[in-house]
Amino acid sequence: MSILEVEHIQKSFGHTQVLRDISFSLEQGQVLSVIGSSGSGKTTLLRCLNFLETPDGGTICVRGETIFDASDSARLTDTEIRRRRLHFGLVFQSFNLFPQYTALGNVILAKELLAKEEPDYRARKAQIHREAEEQGRELLTQMGLADRMDNYPHQLSGGQCQRVAIARALALQPDILCFDEPTSALDPELTGEVLRVIRELADHNTTMIIVTHEMAFARDVASQVIFMDDGRILEAGDPRQVLEHPREERTRQFLSRFSQG
Amino acid sequence: MDLFFEQFPIVIQALNTGFLQTLKLFFVTLIGALPLGLLISFGSMSRFRPLSTLSRVFVWVIRGTPLMIQLLIVYYFPGLVLGNAIWGGGETGRFLAASTAFIINYACYFSEIYRGGIQGIPIGPTEAGLVLGMTRSQIFFKITLLQMIKRIVPPMSNEIISLVKDTSLARIIALQEIIWAGQSFMKGSQGISGAIWPLFFTAVYYLAANGLLTLLFGWIERKLDYFR
Amino acid sequence: MKKNIALMLALLMMASLTACSSSSDSTSDTTAAETVAETDSETTAAETEAAEIEVSEETTAAESAAAEDSDLVYIQEKGTLVVGITDFEPMDYKDADGNWIGFDADMATAFAESLGVEVEFVEIDWDNKILELDGKTIDCVWNGMTLTSEVTSSMDCSNAYCNNAQVLIVSSDVADQYQDTDSLADLTIAVEAGSAGEEVVTELGIATTAVSSQADALMEIAAGTSDAAVIDALMAAAMVGEGTGYEDLTYTISLNSEEYGVGFRIGSDLVELLNEFFATSYADGSMLEIAETYGVQAALIEQ
Repeated sequence: MSILEVEHIQKSFGHTQVLRDISFSLEQGQVLSVIGSSGSGKTTLLRCLNFLETPDGGTICVRGETIFDASDSARLTDTEIRRRRLHFGLVFQSFNLFPQYTALGNVILAKELLAKEEPDYRARKAQIHREAEEQGRELLTQMGLADRMDNYPHQLSGGQCQRVAIARALALQPDILCFDEPTSALDPELTGEVLRVIRELADHNTTMIIVTHEMAFARDVASQVIFMDDGRILEAGDPRQVLEHPREERTRQFLSRFSQG
Repeated sequence: MDLFFEQFPIVIQALNTGFLQTLKLFFVTLIGALPLGLLISFGSMSRFRPLSTLSRVFVWVIRGTPLMIQLLIVYYFPGLVLGNAIWGGGETGRFLAASTAFIINYACYFSEIYRGGIQGIPIGPTEAGLVLGMTRSQIFFKITLLQMIKRIVPPMSNEIISLVKDTSLARIIALQEIIWAGQSFMKGSQGISGAIWPLFFTAVYYLAANGLLTLLFGWIERKLDYFR
Repeated sequence: MKKNIALMLALLMMASLTACSSSSDSTSDTTAAETVAETDSETTAAETEAAEIEVSEETTAAESAAAEDSDLVYIQEKGTLVVGITDFEPMDYKDADGNWIGFDADMATAFAESLGVEVEFVEIDWDNKILELDGKTIDCVWNGMTLTSEVTSSMDCSNAYCNNAQVLIVSSDVADQYQDTDSLADLTIAVEAGSAGEEVVTELGIATTAVSSQADALMEIAAGTSDAAVIDALMAAAMVGEGTGYEDLTYTISLNSEEYGVGFRIGSDLVELLNEFFATSYADGSMLEIAETYGVQAALIEQ
């Protein structure tokens, strides 16, 4: 069974249709790269998966459970939306770290707040805190930030911030981790450290959806590539096939801009 | 000079009493206006149009009219028009009326500062919080609030320093704060009349209070300096 | 003062209009109205209530309390006579223990006793005395109040009980140059706005500088911003000359003679009662006794 099945997702802002009939599926441990020019709807697609936007039509299933169905008119409670969106993690282009928390604080905050809803929270408070902190330190060490745990975001470089953001998303152990152009806000010399971390995650079979402009990276890491244009999936398939021998003229035009640059 | 030393303890005692009233009004206003301002700012930011329109009109009316007129209306309106002097003539009634006018007035100013502070905060961290499964209130209290506080401390400190001085307006409804106490020696009180210096001396009290506040806000700003 | 009342009324009308229009806005949804009621506290509540009262009622209520129960009943029901005063030696001032004494204060205490109620002294802003009276935050003004036409037209006043005069205050070193009214023409004279002093100086055809209190008028001379001031004789005696803060000032000529009275709300039945009380206490000598205590016996008027 696929870990993620997206079917017929539609989304409009006012009269502008941003997503038109988006369908794809993803297997456990696969990496999906989404490419396309800006304004093609890639970011909106990720935001729909994370419930930051509500699609106008279509369904989203994770491990066979329908977590979103536009035809179901019953309004979801906030608690239910929160539970369902935890299937996904999201790493933003501009990090969006919490400025008043240290690197470690950023990673463990959500975990600790979620633990408060556990029935035995009071009794196990100290233990929960210790476990969250331990896990946070582990994740940051894994990101190569062992010596940066107690720094505040403004004391970190862009690449370090993005790695903290990745650790923060991983702390909640999402089924699918989404990246929205994770290196676009970085200086070119800093993109390497972030891509290396994502590559390692891929090696450990983390299921990921990566919106990116790094074509070489997409070709190496992704198990499938989707090319989006004007809210549609224009071309999808094996990375080498899509990136090196695209069938569509639009894809060729898009890719040629990157090979020149 | 002898006369001055004779008068000094009497005047200082009267000014202290007046200043105590000034401070009472100051703190009661803060205690009432800080949370009320937050409520009004939520009202004016509400996506529910009638509520936000109402809040904004209210803020416009209160900020668009002098506090002195508001004091007169709050204190005299019930007796003059409704025929029911709810505040009574005594000192307590005057203090309550003054507090009411000050709380409403300052809540409106504070609400605009809160609104600026909240709306100026980038949406990014809030969305990050949502994606991490936090509730709206967790996001407000754990993430937005401190960023908002950091942003509003400088304009807030301006407003609060103004409040210390604005308390003197309450003398219009005969609240006996420190300016009133200082002026009483010009008209004649406790055997001292025609003394001008007590009125000018009240400035020392305001300076001292605002000096302390300036230090306090400087300290808060430094305390919040650890993040950006 | 009439102007003030008109202004006040205009403001109140505006306020009630605002209340009207905002309440009709919120009828579309109850939550809005509820939230605002919580938020706005007393003022809005008061304004909304006001909006429900007919405009005609507002006007009459402000004009006089005559239509309602008698003032005597009102005062006896609440058990206190609230006397509006300022700190004005020797009429109303505080003793060492902070109790109000003075010729007026003692008389007011005795009058309240005769009505069987407690007396309560409240310091007011003199500019707002009519607001205080009509707003029922005080029940009378008993504070060496000169009976000017302005006062008698906006309050019902008792018979005069004390004589006073408006006197000219100048610097001691030039006092001998200003001993008659003809010599005043080239002076800039500071007076309290709306005071009896302003009235007499204006009647003489001399330009005045209006300031907010008699004390401010004195400060004008001390600061050199005015040449002279015109204030109450009783006040001048207490405030200028040796042993006061204005040792270099003195008073020269009296510009008029005038009388003090006690002011009540228009239509109040307490006026008659006070006149009777004055008559009996003058007759039995108790009024003179109190006057002697405070050194104003010479100014006392026969009742």
